[in-house]
Amino acid sequence: MTTTVRTSSLLAISDLTVRFRLPDATVHAVTGIDVTVAPGELLAVVGESGCGKSVLAHALLGLLPANAAVTGTALLHGDGAPIDLLTADDKILARSVRGRRIGLVPQSPATALTPVRTGRRLLEETLRAHGRPRAEADTVAAGVGLTPADLDLYPHELSGGMAQRLATALALAPDPPLLLADEPTSGLDRPLVDATLDVLRQRCDNGAAVILITHDLAAAQRVADSVAVMYASRIVEHRPAAGFFAGPRHPYAHALLDALPDRAFAPIPGHPPMLTALPAGCAFAPRCPHAADDCGIQPGLHPDVACHHPIGDRP
Amino acid sequence: MITAEGITVAYGRRRVLDGVSLSLARGETVGLRGPSGAGKSTLLRVLALLHRPAAGTVSIDGTAITGTRYTVPAAVRTRIGVLFQSPRAAADPRLSLADIIAEPLRVARRSDISARVADLADTVGLTADLLSRRPHAVSDGQLQRACLARAFAHTPDYLLCDEATTMLDAATQALIATVITDYQQRHNAGVLIVTHDPALMTRWADRTLDLADLPATAR
Amino acid sequence: MAELTLRRSRMPRPAITVATAVLVSAAAAGLLAPVLWPLDQSAVDLAQTRLAPSWAHPAGTDDLGRDVAHRTVYGLRVSLLVGAVAALVATIIGGIVGGIAGTLGGPVDRILMRIVDTVAALPHLLLGIFIVAMLRPGLGAVVLSVGLTHWLSTARIVRSELLSLRTRPFIDAAISGGAGRLRVLTRHLLPHVLPKLALATTLMVPHAVWHETALSFLGLGLPPHLASLGNMINDGQGSLLTGAWWPSLMPGLVIVIVTLALATVVARWRDRLDPRVRAELQL
Repeated sequence: MTTTVRTSSLLAISDLTVRFRLPDATVHAVTGIDVTVAPGELLAVVGESGCGKSVLAHALLGLLPANAAVTGTALLHGDGAPIDLLTADDKILARSVRGRRIGLVPQSPATALTPVRTGRRLLEETLRAHGRPRAEADTVAAGVGLTPADLDLYPHELSGGMAQRLATALALAPDPPLLLADEPTSGLDRPLVDATLDVLRQRCDNGAAVILITHDLAAAQRVADSVAVMYASRIVEHRPAAGFFAGPRHPYAHALLDALPDRAFAPIPGHPPMLTALPAGCAFAPRCPHAADDCGIQPGLHPDVACHHPIGDRP
Repeated sequence: MITAEGITVAYGRRRVLDGVSLSLARGETVGLRGPSGAGKSTLLRVLALLHRPAAGTVSIDGTAITGTRYTVPAAVRTRIGVLFQSPRAAADPRLSLADIIAEPLRVARRSDISARVADLADTVGLTADLLSRRPHAVSDGQLQRACLARAFAHTPDYLLCDEATTMLDAATQALIATVITDYQQRHNAGVLIVTHDPALMTRWADRTLDLADLPATAR
Repeated sequence: MAELTLRRSRMPRPAITVATAVLVSAAAAGLLAPVLWPLDQSAVDLAQTRLAPSWAHPAGTDDLGRDVAHRTVYGLRVSLLVGAVAALVATIIGGIVGGIAGTLGGPVDRILMRIVDTVAALPHLLLGIFIVAMLRPGLGAVVLSVGLTHWLSTARIVRSELLSLRTRPFIDAAISGGAGRLRVLTRHLLPHVLPKLALATTLMVPHAVWHETALSFLGLGLPPHLASLGNMINDGQGSLLTGAWWPSLMPGLVIVIVTLALATVVARWRDRLDPRVRAELQL
């Protein structure tokens, strides 16, 4: 965050870059990400499918496939020395970071839940593994809107929305200071979307931090403190949510907001570039109405928008 | 006019639809909403002649359709286009986007397939380099455009969209909606959109139906 | 700046290389043996019975004075042939039964699957023995016996694959686009099922080889003079009692090594075919 002064940070990501080596090409999945997340902050990472936002989440959890090359640092602060999530030993990540210090709300909860145990068993096991009394299961479940009766069902007996809430409850059970939510609302209808988002918001209000990865701008607008827009593997704009939604400065962010049905409902012409063949300069330039000669040079994120001609600077 | 009357569908003991009736005229855009699990998708599949209801009939222009899926004559089936929620699930992963779009044309033994594919791809804004790729090498939004082009292949009189933009970003959603609206105006097509997004519903649909309020003739 | 790569646990590369080398040499030995190293199957040499391994007879000779190494090559040839043909027979039967059950569904599916469950409840070897006993002993009987007892898993794989494909939206989209049953079957269903079917066949070859070996060991397989791995192990029994351990050793080792190699290569292939793993490879 560059526009507000943070006294402490929970997660400091610096120059995070992820490449996938393919037999005939290199996928530039994530490029030069610098982001800091403070306790109590809800950061929404928005962008269209294939822009790299999910890879970012997987990199932070150390869950990338074998052909991925990761560079940069992602320091997770807490009690004691900070841990670099990108270089830490996988055993340490598995034992003391994933689940315990970083919770994950997965994209498709139906496949993430063990089918042979009831929600209660799953939740109680998670609570016990993290040294909390099993009796708290009902309280944790109630926090996400599940009744004690719902907990006694098996995953296949749950509707999509209930499965999502159970997955959220499991992620919350260890009370992690940082929660990663990867498209937690996909496939849910609006009341369930709002309920899930409110649970995330409440986490932040109680001092935890949440990174919400979503393509749903309305969801981001509802709960986010700050918004990072990703386009073609880079963050192109990163600002406090209120200012962003009132007046986006990057032409892509502006066009994306203008595409919302309650705004202009206007599509963006053209296609995003392939992550295997990114242009040398600004990746949005070929689709951008404000593009000029200098857009052939990659703009840096200065201070909060990566554009040579940000909206609001022109007469 | 495509009409569903007294549609009842049950999965096992659970009754999903109970005598629901609905009609969609050419030229109009009807929005259908309802809580998740209320049977919106099931009703859409019944209208698309893909699911046999336990009771009730679907008729097109007053003619009742007997049978579902393969037992409906191809010429009747192709009057109704369908766009599904997940383009990944709705596209055969082995085929290129060009083949996905061409498939319904090949079934009908059309002679001008490559020209028609190029035309359809142009309608949805897919470029030639995208057409040669397979689904895993394109984004969800690009794949949904290919699925839309496929749905247009036989120039259907009705287009049914089942949460077709829910998984897409705002820009692609707006594009899909624009392309569908253009098509509708050129061919006087009837469009049914199932969505849970109130903003999208308000912006896109001429009239909105709530599944819970639909007339139940056979209750 | 640190660069790290994360590895998922898969079959290690050297194992694949070794297994492939073993299979290639086994196949080459089987194919080229009649040209390079002809064998008279009925020849015996009673002057040289039960000779311990030496330079002249690297794996010794058996109770009829036949060279064990020489006969093992021919035994492997027969066993692999019987295994492959039997696996093919099993795949055809299983493919047809599973295909009918999976395409038609409903009562046909229930009846066919009940039959599959019933056959599966019988012990394989016992059923195999019964089938051989009904026919005249010989290559054909063994192939049929193995084929008729090993089609069940193939039928289940094909059926469940078809049933899950049938409900996929891309099949709905094809129907909505005007495609008929045959078109959907040939264009969308079979291309997805065939690789799995091929995998099932290959996975079955080691099973079939073992089954043939077991039948021959029990004296119900191939004619005794014909070198097959099972026959050789069976013959070796008598020699074992006299202290000659070698006639059984080499055929036994060969069957273990070759089937292990086959299983290793197939496991690698399955990893590549698994769509989840494949999606990751193509990320």
